[in-house]
Amino acid sequence: MLSLIVFIPLLAGLFLMLKRGLELEKVIKLAYGAVATAFVLSLFALVGYDFHHGEMQYVDSFVWVPLLNITYTVGADGISLWLVALTAFLGILAINSARTQKQNPQQFLALILMMLAGTLGVFVALDTILFYVFWELMLVPTYFLIGMWGEGKRIYATTKFVLYTLVGSLLMLVAIVWITVIHYDATQVLTFDIQTLVQTHIPSEVQLFLFGFFFLAFAIKVPIFPFHSWLPHTYVACPIPVLVLLTGAMSKTGAYGLIRFCLPLFPEAVSDFSLIIGAMAAGGIVYGAWIAVAQRDIKALVAYSSISHLGFIVLGIFSGNNQGMSGSVLQMVNHGIIASALFLIVGMLEERVGTRDLDRFCGLKGRMPMLYAMFMLITLAALGLPGLNGFVGEFLILMAVWTSPVLGEMAFIYVLMAGLAIVFASVYMLYMFQGAMQESTIKLPKDMTDIDRREQGLLIPACILVVFLGLFPAVVIDRVEPAVKHVLHTEKTVNLPAHSDGHGGH
Amino acid sequence: MYPHAWLILILPMLGFIFLSWYGKRVSKTVAGFIGCATIGVAFLITLTLLAGLLISDPAERVGNVQVAYSWLNMQTFHLDLAILVDPLSVFMLLVITGVGFLIHVYSVGYMSEDPEYARFFSYMNFFIFSMSLLVLAADFFFLIVGWAMVGLASYLLIGFWTHKTSAVLAARKAFVMNVIGDVGMVIAAFMIYDHFGSISYAEVFSAAPAKFMANDVDILLITLFLLVGAFAKSAQIPLHTWLPDAMEGPTPVSALIHAATMVTAGVYLIARCNVLYMLAPYTLFLIASVGVLTALFAGAMGMVQYDIKRVIAYSTMSQLGYMFLAVGVGVFSVGMFHLMTHAFFKALLFLGAGSVIHSLHEEQDIRKMGGLARPMPITFATFLIASLALTAFPLTAGFYSKDAIIMHSYFSEYGNFVFWGLALLGAGMTGFYTFRLFFYTFLGKSRSPEAHPHESPWVMVVPLMILAFLSLFAGHLAGWVNEFLAPVFGGHVPHAPHDSIMEATAITVSLLGIVSAIGLYLTGKNQLEFVKTVGAPLYDLMLNKFYIDELYNFFITKPMRVIGKFFEQRAEREGIDFAIDMVGDQVREVSRQISVLQSGKVRWYAFNTVAGLILVLVFVIFL
Repeated sequence: MLSLIVFIPLLAGLFLMLKRGLELEKVIKLAYGAVATAFVLSLFALVGYDFHHGEMQYVDSFVWVPLLNITYTVGADGISLWLVALTAFLGILAINSARTQKQNPQQFLALILMMLAGTLGVFVALDTILFYVFWELMLVPTYFLIGMWGEGKRIYATTKFVLYTLVGSLLMLVAIVWITVIHYDATQVLTFDIQTLVQTHIPSEVQLFLFGFFFLAFAIKVPIFPFHSWLPHTYVACPIPVLVLLTGAMSKTGAYGLIRFCLPLFPEAVSDFSLIIGAMAAGGIVYGAWIAVAQRDIKALVAYSSISHLGFIVLGIFSGNNQGMSGSVLQMVNHGIIASALFLIVGMLEERVGTRDLDRFCGLKGRMPMLYAMFMLITLAALGLPGLNGFVGEFLILMAVWTSPVLGEMAFIYVLMAGLAIVFASVYMLYMFQGAMQESTIKLPKDMTDIDRREQGLLIPACILVVFLGLFPAVVIDRVEPAVKHVLHTEKTVNLPAHSDGHGGH
Repeated sequence: MYPHAWLILILPMLGFIFLSWYGKRVSKTVAGFIGCATIGVAFLITLTLLAGLLISDPAERVGNVQVAYSWLNMQTFHLDLAILVDPLSVFMLLVITGVGFLIHVYSVGYMSEDPEYARFFSYMNFFIFSMSLLVLAADFFFLIVGWAMVGLASYLLIGFWTHKTSAVLAARKAFVMNVIGDVGMVIAAFMIYDHFGSISYAEVFSAAPAKFMANDVDILLITLFLLVGAFAKSAQIPLHTWLPDAMEGPTPVSALIHAATMVTAGVYLIARCNVLYMLAPYTLFLIASVGVLTALFAGAMGMVQYDIKRVIAYSTMSQLGYMFLAVGVGVFSVGMFHLMTHAFFKALLFLGAGSVIHSLHEEQDIRKMGGLARPMPITFATFLIASLALTAFPLTAGFYSKDAIIMHSYFSEYGNFVFWGLALLGAGMTGFYTFRLFFYTFLGKSRSPEAHPHESPWVMVVPLMILAFLSLFAGHLAGWVNEFLAPVFGGHVPHAPHDSIMEATAITVSLLGIVSAIGLYLTGKNQLEFVKTVGAPLYDLMLNKFYIDELYNFFITKPMRVIGKFFEQRAEREGIDFAIDMVGDQVREVSRQISVLQSGKVRWYAFNTVAGLILVLVFVIFL
């Protein structure tokens, strides 16, 4: 099932790329069909998921490179299934939003499909090499998508993005091989299987390096402050359909990597570094929010707000308890929905007014009541209004931070910083929303129209989900929590040093 | 036992959904009817709840929790979506749906000319839903949800006229200030969870007395963080500046949200958490002090304003100060009683002011009013009743509630002579600003002769009369309210000792305030100018609201912006981003220098290969 979810978009993408001269109608239909199939399959997977235990399910496995015992292994637990469903959902939005692409739409859609397949693959891969392959697979199409269809300083932005992430991922490759070598030394078994590797006890002094390599790769991808400097350039240059996937799905791969690799593999290093990473996350929360307050370009504003919101996710992951990490997974889903909807709205506004500068337009409410209502709902969810989904995630995360065993005394400061950022969030989100939609209707083009049915279709699912997940967060949390427990309490059975008292995960 | 209590939440929500979806397509009559009917039915349901509570045994009146479903069920954190029906929540609901219904009916007339009529009612219904959720919540999480949602409703309604820049700014200010309060409450909820392992009222309040000694640091912190929320919502110093600006909204909104219900949520919160606050006498002292100071400051600012709604807004702040004084000296039911009577007469004042504004075509400056008693007799009479009730004139409702507060501020266990004296001074100010407003508006000659004021339509006047009736006679409910609420406050029924001299003093001071208003505003302008000249510095301070807005702007808003710009320019562009680019540039520079080695000369490559081979051999052999 999971293989189908990954390979249907991938094959569709390859087909579109190689087959020239198709009619646009057919291209769009094919792309839609592929992504919609993946989405429906992911929903089936979610429904069929047995959430009473947090083990990997739907596992498919066969040997890929016999010489090195590299396998093709995919599988999913509650954490990855939600992210898969989210990614496929955002894929539909991205394809829908890409329909208006004028310049070479076929290649554009093909690359989006391949990027989507790479992202989906990252979430289901259970073999480190396979993970790495998907990790790079999602990067390559992104490079071309931004470089060829972007705007502004797109070449600079995309080069910076790709080089920056490559530096991280190459270090990760070193770490991947290193772990397998450690495992081989201990057991004489050559494997890249993640579930086997996490049981290896890695010597503390080596953990430090390995953790550093993995962390750097994921920290750049998320991004965690201060490794974020590619993000504003890339987001501003990025075309909206790609941005939907980039912010909604791809930034989650970093956080997912932290959960799947860093926490179970290197528990000691994690507990050593939680305070520092917490400080980086909390710093990023405030820093992003503070810069967002000073922005007048709405795309840049949402980009910086993303840095702030992603900080919450990282903070929750490193809070070291069930609640925080479950909250983080919920918040990943939330952020995927909210941030992508915000960028879609930014795109709609820019298309109509021709500028993203808040100083140069206002009062759109009169012309676009429908967008007004939806924009408001998304704005409120983004600023964390209690009752909508964003707040549930933030509440669980910060509550976990407050009671966190590993953050200790600093927890109070982190929560206060996050509180400050929440106040800032209300400031900058309202600046954007009110600045764009309210006040007097001057300087507007005469022929401006409200969003049409296609555009409503882009936003309505997000509007429904922000309310639904606020009312029924248990739908997500119930499926996530067992998997989170599993991650946090990984048993270390292999290669334990003789003097160890045998406890692993905590 | 009370499953139908859910309807109080569901009906306004349905009204909100229907009106925001189909509002544009139905006629104004239908929209107005739906807006009012949902609230009216909610009020009737509240009455059945009241009846249900009254016929049950006093001991069984508390702790009736209705669970809808398990909202979150984690290993360490469990939370139900549940509501709590007890005397305190039903008491609040009576005020919310009762006064809310009257204001809805009034709005049918007041907003009849507005093109976005249905949107107004949908927001109003949303407000009633949120406020009901706030008081019905059975745990701190849904309290916060309701808390933030009323803030949202307030934001939407303050900024209802979105084309007015001032309204948009005022709405944002109110929202941001309320978010500050929300953050305080959220942190308080974390601390509560940390100590009790739960955030539902029942578990927290039953465990608290055994867990904390009086004035433990932790209980002080919990109560203080809760207080941030309470002060922000109830516009107490120093989080008060949004309330006067909130008057940018339509007048029924000011009556409902910024007088009768939402702003009293802070008082409700402290009353609801009375178990926690009784464990923190220091916090209680702070509450009483801030309350009485706010009463004085707001009264002082209200004495010199010229916008009819702003005067009433300052008066609201001031009366909220009295409520905080009451709960701060530990007499929670007295505070709640003042909350109720205040809801009646303050809603009446606002609606009366709305009636005046309506008939003068959106004129709000009291210097341009005057002589309205004759053309608007019912508004005049009801406004007079409200003013008398506000100044605690004997036998009106305000007298019973406010006088009790003043007495308790001295006689209560936590009271003292200073609170009493300051409360008395505030009462004098109340008399002054209330009747200054009254004289300006209704007496004397008309100051804008071109206007043709007329009495408002029946749909607006009848709610005024009902509220006037309540403002006159609700005072007799004092004893009943104390008894009814006693189970929530640990069975404690406060009885203030009668002290005829102190009571007489209180009445005299209020009357002195009225008399001085007469002296200054009814007998000619000379004294007024004289007083303004003599007290010029003070007058200037009061007129400019003690420059608090300017202070905040200078010390908070501006630095925030400057630091944001600084971060963007210095830290981001010239710091982090530049550093990363530098790394890239250095790598490129180094590779360029290394690339010199790739000269394309085969001999050079061959030499290197051989040298490398020799090196490797040396390593292999000797190491």
